[in-house]
Amino acid sequence: MQMNRDMNILVVDDFSTMRRIVKNLLKELGFHKFDEADDGATAWPMVQTGKYDFIVSDWNMPDMTGLELLKHVRADANLQNTPFLLITAEAKRSQILEAAQAGVDGYIVKPFTAATLNAKIHKIFERVAERQNG
Amino acid sequence: MTCATHIEIKKVQALLNALQENDQTQAAMLLDELTQLRESELYQRLSSLTNNLHDTLDELVDNRLLLQTKHDLPDVTERLEYVLSSTDEACSKTLASTERAMDLSESIALLVQESFNEGSNKNRSEPLQKQLNELNTELTNILLAQSFQDLTGQVLNRVLLTVSALEQSLIQLISDSRHDYDAIPDKEEGDEQKQDEMKGIGPNVTQKSKQNSMDSQDAVDDLLGELGI
Repeated sequence: MQMNRDMNILVVDDFSTMRRIVKNLLKELGFHKFDEADDGATAWPMVQTGKYDFIVSDWNMPDMTGLELLKHVRADANLQNTPFLLITAEAKRSQILEAAQAGVDGYIVKPFTAATLNAKIHKIFERVAERQNG
Repeated sequence: MTCATHIEIKKVQALLNALQENDQTQAAMLLDELTQLRESELYQRLSSLTNNLHDTLDELVDNRLLLQTKHDLPDVTERLEYVLSSTDEACSKTLASTERAMDLSESIALLVQESFNEGSNKNRSEPLQKQLNELNTELTNILLAQSFQDLTGQVLNRVLLTVSALEQSLIQLISDSRHDYDAIPDKEEGDEQKQDEMKGIGPNVTQKSKQNSMDSQDAVDDLLGELGI
């Protein structure tokens, strides 16, 4: 499947180290258009502009969690189909079930590898393509 | 210290009389009587002080402090130990990769030297050598930056010692106030736990928090797979 390397990606994490790591890994995968947000609360107005084709977010952030951001996105008619990947240290069974129910497209548990990120992104956009074609 | 016991002047007078008459047996007996009074008074006061202390401790060692001592302090220790070991692990990985990169840069430098040794190509190797030197400087910087592990490790070890000493003192306080440490109940889990989870609780690094958590990406993928994601 051909993935659009020119898509706009929003990387949301309160730790700048993590944002840098995720951005560098995405760069390795051929993506080059990123914006960053350090909290769900700062991300949400950015997301509402409709600019982003893909959101990669942490869960545990001080003002608005990634889960809440996901719920906001899914509740907005214009944004609800935006692919959403959670990269998080949260790994309780109940939390993963909650994220699934909220409509997450992918769930990566920290610490993670470049290969995992690659695999999940491919899987997400395969499914996006299937949705569009089917 | 004031003493509530009344020292009878009669007894003291009798003691003086006995001494004046050089009746040692009588004097010893009277002296014993007098000191015994004081001893029993001291004992009573000590006993009442002890009771006071226990009451104060009972108030101090309320349910919250008991739970914190039994659950929160060991939790803190486990989490700090996780920080120590995971930063140590990350540092070792960074050092190993940096050393490997330095070796690679060294062999590239040799290759450059060999490949551009012939007269006409000589100046072409200069920019390459310069960049390799810069690369080495950066790698050395990465290496040196890992020295944080030594310093933060020392700090964490001190904090761990303090926390453990605090825990021991509190356990002592609990047993001094006649509470049974072993009988302190487990933490209740309910709505609060659920709320915490939805906010995010961070990595599950303690034995307790590992319960009901996925220990690998594969386990997460299996669960998501069951849900069709």
